[in-house]
Amino acid sequence: MVLKKGRFIIEDLENVQINIGNITGAEVEEEEKEKEKKEAHGPTISPGIHGLRDWDRRLLGRYEPVYSPICDLCCYCTYGKCDLTGNKEGACGINMEAHQAREAMVRTITGASAHAGHGRHLLHYLIERFGADHPIDVGPSNIKAPNTQTVLGIRPETIGDFIPVLNYVEEQITQLIATAHAGQEGSALDFDSKALHAGMLDHVGMEVSDIIQISCLGFPKSDENAPLAEIGMGLIDSKKPVLLVIGHNVAAVTYIIDYVEENELIDKIEVVGLCCTAIDMTRYNISAKIVGSMAKQLKYIRSGIPDVIVVDEQCIRGDVLKEASKLHIPVIATNDKIMYNLPDRSNDDINSIMDDLVSGSQPGVLLFDFDKIGELAPELTLKMAPIRKEKGYTALPDDEEFKRLTSSCSRCGACVIACPQGLDIDVAMSDAAGGDLTLFEILHDKCVGCGRCEEECPKGIPVLDVIEKAAQKVIREEKGKVRIGRGQIGDPEIREEGRNLVLGTTPGIVAIVGCPNYPDGSRDIYDIAEEMLKRSFIVVTSGCSAMDIGMFRNEDGKTLYERFGGRFLKGNLLNVGSCVSNAHITATTIKVASIFAGRNIDGNYEEIADYVLCRIGAVGLAWGAFSQKALSIGTGCNRMGIPVILGPHGPKYRRAYIGNPYDPEKWNILDARDGSSHLMEPAPEHLLISAETKDEALPMLAKLCFRPGDNSLGRMIKLTHYIELNEKYLGELPDDWHVYVRSEADLPLAKKEMLLKILEQEHGWEIDWKKKKIIKGPFRRPDVSFQPTNVPRLCKGASV
Amino acid sequence: MAQKTVDTTKRAVPFDKANVPGPKMAKPVKAELAGKIISKAKRPLLIVGTPGADTGLPEIIKTFNSKSIPVAATGSCLKALKQADVEATYVNLHALVSYLKDPKWKGFDGNGNYDTAIFIGHTYYYASQLMSTLKNFTTVKVISIDRHYHPNAQMSFGNLNDDDFRTALKIVAAQL
Repeated sequence: MVLKKGRFIIEDLENVQINIGNITGAEVEEEEKEKEKKEAHGPTISPGIHGLRDWDRRLLGRYEPVYSPICDLCCYCTYGKCDLTGNKEGACGINMEAHQAREAMVRTITGASAHAGHGRHLLHYLIERFGADHPIDVGPSNIKAPNTQTVLGIRPETIGDFIPVLNYVEEQITQLIATAHAGQEGSALDFDSKALHAGMLDHVGMEVSDIIQISCLGFPKSDENAPLAEIGMGLIDSKKPVLLVIGHNVAAVTYIIDYVEENELIDKIEVVGLCCTAIDMTRYNISAKIVGSMAKQLKYIRSGIPDVIVVDEQCIRGDVLKEASKLHIPVIATNDKIMYNLPDRSNDDINSIMDDLVSGSQPGVLLFDFDKIGELAPELTLKMAPIRKEKGYTALPDDEEFKRLTSSCSRCGACVIACPQGLDIDVAMSDAAGGDLTLFEILHDKCVGCGRCEEECPKGIPVLDVIEKAAQKVIREEKGKVRIGRGQIGDPEIREEGRNLVLGTTPGIVAIVGCPNYPDGSRDIYDIAEEMLKRSFIVVTSGCSAMDIGMFRNEDGKTLYERFGGRFLKGNLLNVGSCVSNAHITATTIKVASIFAGRNIDGNYEEIADYVLCRIGAVGLAWGAFSQKALSIGTGCNRMGIPVILGPHGPKYRRAYIGNPYDPEKWNILDARDGSSHLMEPAPEHLLISAETKDEALPMLAKLCFRPGDNSLGRMIKLTHYIELNEKYLGELPDDWHVYVRSEADLPLAKKEMLLKILEQEHGWEIDWKKKKIIKGPFRRPDVSFQPTNVPRLCKGASV
Repeated sequence: MAQKTVDTTKRAVPFDKANVPGPKMAKPVKAELAGKIISKAKRPLLIVGTPGADTGLPEIIKTFNSKSIPVAATGSCLKALKQADVEATYVNLHALVSYLKDPKWKGFDGNGNYDTAIFIGHTYYYASQLMSTLKNFTTVKVISIDRHYHPNAQMSFGNLNDDDFRTALKIVAAQL
């Protein structure tokens, strides 16, 4: 036995603990192991803020930051307010560009912190419950924690191995947020490099969070056949007592589900969830139901259906307690991120807490004891239900009140001006007063449930309640299915599909992620997913998007999850899980680099990101992104070389990374075989950009899957989809299709002759019509041996 | 028949109430003056958003075609504009503002970047946010002849009802 530094407990001697500090032999052995690992590592083990700055500058040199200030002032210190309009400098010397970059960075750090904080909380809890030696089990994978391995060079085997991983993330986050202080960084580009660092850290933090919960809580492990869960407001049996959980951190909720099961309450009580906690509780126990995404929060509370609400953390409205109190719904807050000024009753007897909540003497409590939460929440729900149902608590107006409210609208338009989507609420109000509910039924899905309309209505009309009342018929039909989060993509799946992905014969991975701040309702992401699945793209989804995709059915009554398989294979739809499961998307590209291409991933971030950018046609779509977490997830994808498209609210994040395809200086790439520089097509054209509509986003998704490493068959397939989607949704051939043509073999077969004619007549290319070959025109010829890279040190003969 | 008139400078407050960017907000502009300024621009570009393909607007946009003012079709309005025989080039709006701030960009015709960007028919919050890029980082003159007041433009109509909006556009077109 080799003794190491650490703590030992001797069996049967509970109070005896031996702490071993230094053992010379063991130290030497550890050091040698570390040395060996370092030799096998890439050059950036646990990089600091500047560790990957060169890579960031390569990215930002090609994809220039484009800032879109949401406010022209800087209100950051007591020198201000400073007017920075027109890129002026403020009193501290920072200009508008740098200030915007800082603002975007702060939000990225905020998002990364939310996930890392979540992960740290889970890690403490799971280590306490299962022990630090609890093994990691994510399914059939040797690469268990790809982001962790690539960033830190650590290969965790137990959940305790994640302690130094989170230590690193937390240290880096502290260093990063320090740079936001007045009088620190002054360069916009360096703020962006720091934002990219925060995005990368976010994927590590998310990975830790999801891997430990998968390993300890019995979640599906790379399971392509993970079962289908029920989703939708129409599926909840409101005659039963209803317990609603909201948030992202499932730890406390598992105790509730266990209690419900152990006490045979499953048929007596509806345990339902909103947001990512909902997804994760179905991963824990399929009997739980999902109400829907974040947009349903206020709507569902106002319906009066929940009898008790349990909240944990992230994306929970600030007015949950206020809204719930109005309808006598007790709130149990279970996490110190959200405490609502409630009294901490963790040390009190359950019965006394119950009495106070049932009587309404306290509208809610703070409770950190999971055992107590597990018992209190369901028992309280059983007690509250008959009381609340007897009183008929609901915020929704009855028919008579509905008529009065809609008739009282003066059509001043204040609600429209207040609405983030600019919905025609005033017109719908007028139609409804005349008995026509059609427009309100349409608005119900487009409404993001923010309630800003009510804040502005001079007549005090509870607009959201009116919309929900008008849409009752539609709501009753809201019944969908979602495949519960499967977790990582397993190594065998990567082995099977990685080659197709790199060569382009599988046209790409489209990751539909993020929040429900959709510009035109949730139907859009269903339509986008369906179109790309039919075209054999791999569609990966998570979080609120995964839920909303499951809310719609085709003419045969089937959801997309029922129509398409869940394997990592072309034309499959994979729900990886909740918000923190987004780490598995970047992880998948890392695995392809490792398993298919044999790249060393340990502490080798730049090389892997370069490989992803050059080879793997993956693109993210955060169509309804609203949160800081969505920004950090997207920014982390960007650093890994994965482009992301945002919906039209996206520019409110203040910066994008946009390529200028007309500038040849931006599109040089190296051939790793000899270090020679080549002009390449703009592939991918952008790193972070927004689209105005679904119809615009669809061809962009296909276009952003082009990579310089595509072989001819792959390029032909990708070009076919780009051209077809452009013709279908924008009405014509894209005006830049020809720049992606390197030889006649890249041309879509069905249109080859027509496209050759265009190349000859409109672009002056020389064509040999007998052989149907391109003689002259493309600025780059395909070369199967071409080894594209953006990193000079990776080229043969380069001095490292 | 005399041309109907409309005061496009009324109700010049951000359509999205909280969209108050700072001390510099668009000057409310009369339709006639907007038309004159556009007609005098050396390198104007009309930028149309997806709602710009609405009934009635393509006819006005065609006037810009007839005066050789190039039309950028952003979002997904190109299909409808083409069906209405409008000559336009598709470009993503986010990418377009990036190009507009780049002196190296030679425009759609290769003759150089544009000095005046005219916005019409946009998703309000999307266009507003991207106008802020032009306002803060370019010298491009931004004129909004859209239905709602855009504070991040240099000049903008106020918030108009549909009838006044269409009348205003006819006045602009008459000045080109």
